[in-house]
Amino acid sequence: MSRWTLFILILLLGLGLGLVYGWVVNPVSYQDTTLDSLREDYQTDYTLMVAEVYHQEGDLDWALNRLTLLEDKSPIVSVENALKFASQAEYTLPDMFLLRDLHNALKELD
Amino acid sequence: MEQNRGNWYLLTGLILGLALGMIYAWVISPVTEVDTHPNLLRDDYKDIYRSLISRAYQANSNLPRAEARLELIGDNDPALALAAQAQRYLAENGDTEMAKVLANLSASLQIAAGPAVTPIPPTVIAIPEEETSSTSNNGSSSENDSQDSASSTREPTSEAPTSPTPSPTSSPPFILQDSSPICDPTLGETLIQIIATDGSGGGVPGITMEISLGTDPTEIFYTGLKPELGLGYADYLAEPGLTYQLEVPDSGLIITDIEVPTCLTDSDDSYWGSWEIYITHPN
Repeated sequence: MSRWTLFILILLLGLGLGLVYGWVVNPVSYQDTTLDSLREDYQTDYTLMVAEVYHQEGDLDWALNRLTLLEDKSPIVSVENALKFASQAEYTLPDMFLLRDLHNALKELD
Repeated sequence: MEQNRGNWYLLTGLILGLALGMIYAWVISPVTEVDTHPNLLRDDYKDIYRSLISRAYQANSNLPRAEARLELIGDNDPALALAAQAQRYLAENGDTEMAKVLANLSASLQIAAGPAVTPIPPTVIAIPEEETSSTSNNGSSSENDSQDSASSTREPTSEAPTSPTPSPTSSPPFILQDSSPICDPTLGETLIQIIATDGSGGGVPGITMEISLGTDPTEIFYTGLKPELGLGYADYLAEPGLTYQLEVPDSGLIITDIEVPTCLTDSDDSYWGSWEIYITHPN
């Protein structure tokens, strides 16, 4: 095996070890994240809070404004995702109804 | 000699590879955070999150759920964090309604945490008990709002929202117990201090105060935004030489002629004092 071949192989080994270290062992740590990076269950709870307020106050503009912060394709997608997760996680019916009501209101808006 | 040169060659390759790998992993293509926790949110998003929790609490009166949600943000003292945010909104002349919603949740947390105390800085004025120099009508005893069943935000099991959060300001009207100048050099500021208590002497948070100065626009603040000084405590930084009027709008109570007094120390040096106002629910 020539020196250059050995060098390239060792270089690739180092590259691989560097990637493992940077991605797995000691990845970049985030501190100042945004709402759209929240885990699915937290995003669902965020959407549920919006639904709770909408149910009480009926202010769809405000609800849209809050849902936009989740930066999904559209607020209705956020609510659909929340409904899916809530269904899988077996949220209570009243909570499901709140999400469904918000979803229906957004659908009517479309 | 030839062999040694070859070994260094390999070590160089390994170090170069490691460096390139780490640069790629940390700078060019770092791990993308997609499943983060609310306590990692940027501060302005945490404010939004707290506001939303407060509004949801206003809507469903579910304190355990609000507490569980606040816990996710990771504030050391959620009630204090809410109060601080409310104060910030007021100071920035922001949304006073939102400040009130935040203050209400802060107050509910403080009430739920235990009996209220009103540790006011020491003053030289003795407060007469049971004084009834009222400018307002009578009311009945106050009652804190009850809460729905507990639930976790990650496993919601609570019942549907029922009614808006009863605001502390919907309590019976307050009457003036005492309004007088105080001379306390330890205060260090010229304050108008308000202490709102219920019939049992406990502090009452969330009471709206409106302070005005002649024709200047009214400024609004609330009791309970400085929990470390008591649930029913509120203060306003007053300027010497001006005459203020304080109104408790929900009680129709108006207190006039509030001024920063001139006080004397033991060695006859003068300094600006403060003004203290006690309001209470009649029993």
